[in-house]
Amino acid sequence: MTEQMRVAVSRDADIVTARQLGRELATKAGFSGSDLTLIATAISEVARNIISYADNGEILLGLAARDGRRGVFVVAQDDGPGIPDIDQAMLDGFSTGKSLGLGLPGARRLMDEFEIESEVGRGTTITMRKWCR
Amino acid sequence: MPVPILKQGEVLIASIQAALTDHDLLQLKDELADKIGRFRSRGVIIDVTALDVMDSFATRTLRGIAATARLRGAQAVVVGIQPDVAIAIVQLGLTLQGVATALDLEEGFEMLRRSMVKDGPQ
Amino acid sequence: MSKSRSALPFRMTEFAPSDIERRLEFVNLGSKDRARIAEIKADVLDHLDEHVAAFFDHLTKFEEARGLTGRPELMEEARRLKREHLVAMVAGDYGREYIDQRFRLGQMYSRAALEVSIFMGAFHDLMTSIGRRIMGHYPTDAIAGFEHFTSLKKVAFFDIAIIVDAMMADREQTIRQQQDAIRELSTPTLQVRDRLLILPIIGLLDTQRAKQLTDSLLHAVRAHRARVVVMDITGVATVDSKVANHLIQTVEAAALMGAAVIVTGVSAEVAQSLVTLGIDLGRITTLGDLQGGLEEAERILGYVVTQAAEVA
Repeated sequence: MTEQMRVAVSRDADIVTARQLGRELATKAGFSGSDLTLIATAISEVARNIISYADNGEILLGLAARDGRRGVFVVAQDDGPGIPDIDQAMLDGFSTGKSLGLGLPGARRLMDEFEIESEVGRGTTITMRKWCR
Repeated sequence: MPVPILKQGEVLIASIQAALTDHDLLQLKDELADKIGRFRSRGVIIDVTALDVMDSFATRTLRGIAATARLRGAQAVVVGIQPDVAIAIVQLGLTLQGVATALDLEEGFEMLRRSMVKDGPQ
Repeated sequence: MSKSRSALPFRMTEFAPSDIERRLEFVNLGSKDRARIAEIKADVLDHLDEHVAAFFDHLTKFEEARGLTGRPELMEEARRLKREHLVAMVAGDYGREYIDQRFRLGQMYSRAALEVSIFMGAFHDLMTSIGRRIMGHYPTDAIAGFEHFTSLKKVAFFDIAIIVDAMMADREQTIRQQQDAIRELSTPTLQVRDRLLILPIIGLLDTQRAKQLTDSLLHAVRAHRARVVVMDITGVATVDSKVANHLIQTVEAAALMGAAVIVTGVSAEVAQSLVTLGIDLGRITTLGDLQGGLEEAERILGYVVTQAAEVA
């Protein structure tokens, strides 16, 4: 397995592919059992986000290293309509029981680092990282 | 890949595999709704033991399945949520409110038995 | 020939006579050496305090030795032992008791947090002090002086080996004890009855431990097919908001696995701090003490505990 992998995301089957590859990659980085599930779940959420709001996009998965620590990074990119109000999008919609609601706030909770860039009409890029404890 | 649904008396059992796509899950929802009606099932057990990830879509759909089952006179129980998955669901802030959960098939059957005894023969 | 051992002896009794014999062979201590040592015995004993001082003066120069040098009672004991050490070194009897003495010295150094590296430096100063005196006894025959000193040095190296072994064994024992304690604190689940688990939590509960606890609890629920877990936090002094949230998450995750969690032993202090932090434990069943928790658990499981009929 190479250090970086690109997964095209356009059908719901790609969500499964992305999260399974993510799990494999995270295993290589040395993550523990429960962390593997957290990472796979976060990937599932951002991948689903691409499907729901854009025609297609891609997810880039790779091993990360910083200050002697190992980890993984996930970059989810789409050419969708973009998010007009990022702050609002990142508010928790779950506690109020709304069925609609981006899985992004949830994904952020599961990962150590979470950055989101979005431009209306251009698309969205989400970068997440998690480090081995 | 469609989810296999078995019938055991008045209970339907759906065993979910790990590589479950959104499409498979939605198809399961429709099939269960259909079969509950056809077989007049009183219980539905959805076994997610093999599911390695339960994200917002999965929990939403399971809640939908339970609600649909209830409307058709059946009780749904989700069994086999694994420790790592349970932690992820909770940390994600998702809820399975309205869905009964049990440890495994045996516990699921026990739960259904108790509630069906309560309801009495129909 | 003694067997090779993989583990260091950490009790004196684990030194078999054959081990001692072997160790003397390792330093090549022969009858000629013993004879030479007998010859310079008086030299060493005449200047005992000088040699002991050389050892400890060296130590007091270093911050890292404060664990020993900063404690007067310990220093007194150490000096006394060192004196005895030197007396025995030239006495010629390198048996059980000799080993025991060195072993105790090594253990004492280890407990005073004295590192092997510093000990070596001090021991070298000690030998230099002795060596100077011995050489002084042979002003016209340097080689004889050197040979006598060398014979004594063999015993010194024999000593160092035992002392360092003892220091390392003591450290290993401490590490082992710490690991045992950690392990005990990490997964203390007890199965009490069919479907009922008790999880007593003692000590400091930080985020890391809370995560471990969640993991252990959930895996125990699966392994024992538990329907109720009584989590007793009587032994936990403080709970901050992060940990409280972890506990809540644990309860919710267990519920997804079909297990109810009852939290018992919430002290007045913990309850107060939770209220202050605005944390709502409302969805969790909390009860005063473990006994109450067990009774509630049994109720949930449908057990009826009957009192034995009183014998008239």
